[in-house]
Amino acid sequence: MSYYFCIVGTRDQPLFELEFGTSKQGGDGIARFSQEARHMNPFIVHSSLDFVDEMQWTNNQMYLKRVDQFASSHISTFLTPTSTRFMLLHLPHPPNTAPQSTASPNSFPPFTPYTSTPASTTTGSRSSSSSSTSIPNNPTSPQTEEAIRAFFGEVFEVWIKAIMSPFGSVEGKLGSPVFRQRVVAAGKKYL
Amino acid sequence: MSFEAPFPPYNASDPYATFLNSTCMDLLLIEMVPMAYRLNNELTIAGQDGVKPVVDEDEQKEAAFRRLETSGYRVGQGLVERFSRDRPRFTDTLDVIKFLCKDMWALLFRKQIDNLKTNHRGVYVLTDNSFKPFSRMSMSSSSEAVSRAQPYLWFPCGVIRGGLASMGITATVQAETSELPAATFQIKTTNAKA
Repeated sequence: MSYYFCIVGTRDQPLFELEFGTSKQGGDGIARFSQEARHMNPFIVHSSLDFVDEMQWTNNQMYLKRVDQFASSHISTFLTPTSTRFMLLHLPHPPNTAPQSTASPNSFPPFTPYTSTPASTTTGSRSSSSSSTSIPNNPTSPQTEEAIRAFFGEVFEVWIKAIMSPFGSVEGKLGSPVFRQRVVAAGKKYL
Repeated sequence: MSFEAPFPPYNASDPYATFLNSTCMDLLLIEMVPMAYRLNNELTIAGQDGVKPVVDEDEQKEAAFRRLETSGYRVGQGLVERFSRDRPRFTDTLDVIKFLCKDMWALLFRKQIDNLKTNHRGVYVLTDNSFKPFSRMSMSSSSEAVSRAQPYLWFPCGVIRGGLASMGITATVQAETSELPAATFQIKTTNAKA
């Protein structure tokens, strides 16, 4: 599983970005997005902001779970009370492909091609139900959901501390290396 | 990180308990006003190569107001971020104002606001019959006391404005007092939907 994490401010501006890979099941914590996917990720995350805006009125929780899906990328969201959004894009490695077996990251197909149908999900339509595959890091499983909840919870705590700093601004970019380090640690711990 | 009373044992015997001396906090808030004046004075003097400029009183007042209001704004933004956690989402402006009156006020001044009036067109008037920072202020002539107390309302104004801003409401906040220790805050929202 590869992750792209982005904090989006109230004016839809990105405040913080981070790519990382799974550290569970022997993962090395390195994101395996292809070059193309790396460029696409911000767009995918941005496009799902509309869904977040819609969902916030039907769901009273801060953790909105999985809000959107694009090809095989899933997007989970955490909405703070003041409408800052934590967006996490997670891209599972295709079944039967261990992350270690890919020698070069470029040869690894990060997207299932947009035209073909991956497994049994319907491409194009943003289907909310996805087939449960046997990969350990199934993005739709309750375990993944809980892990992401824990991750967001920890990031939220760290984020609060970061924005309470009088030297930064609430709407400003989060450049603090300590903050980045803490988010990386949270990612390593839960995802 | 919440309004609830901390779990027991949360007392002096708990080595991990952290406490805040509320008197120190009050003194800090009181001292902020003279500090804002002092800072402005020093900065204007430093900018003019030792020649003491003639600063008229209004200008001085304005500068102190701006300084206090902006620092209050930042505090308000942070406070809301930290304390509105896990509460139902705000659906309209009145919801936000209620949060301000009940939860924020309790947090800042250890009491709730006494009266809230609105014209349902975006103007809210909050009345606090015994505003905490004014509770220890007294003078022989009440009109002088009122004018001397005015600067102590600027910081809370900023806190309110900052809090509202981070909950998505742009507003102007004005505060006045006609008799200590009461204070009224007038919030005018400038949102399209009022």
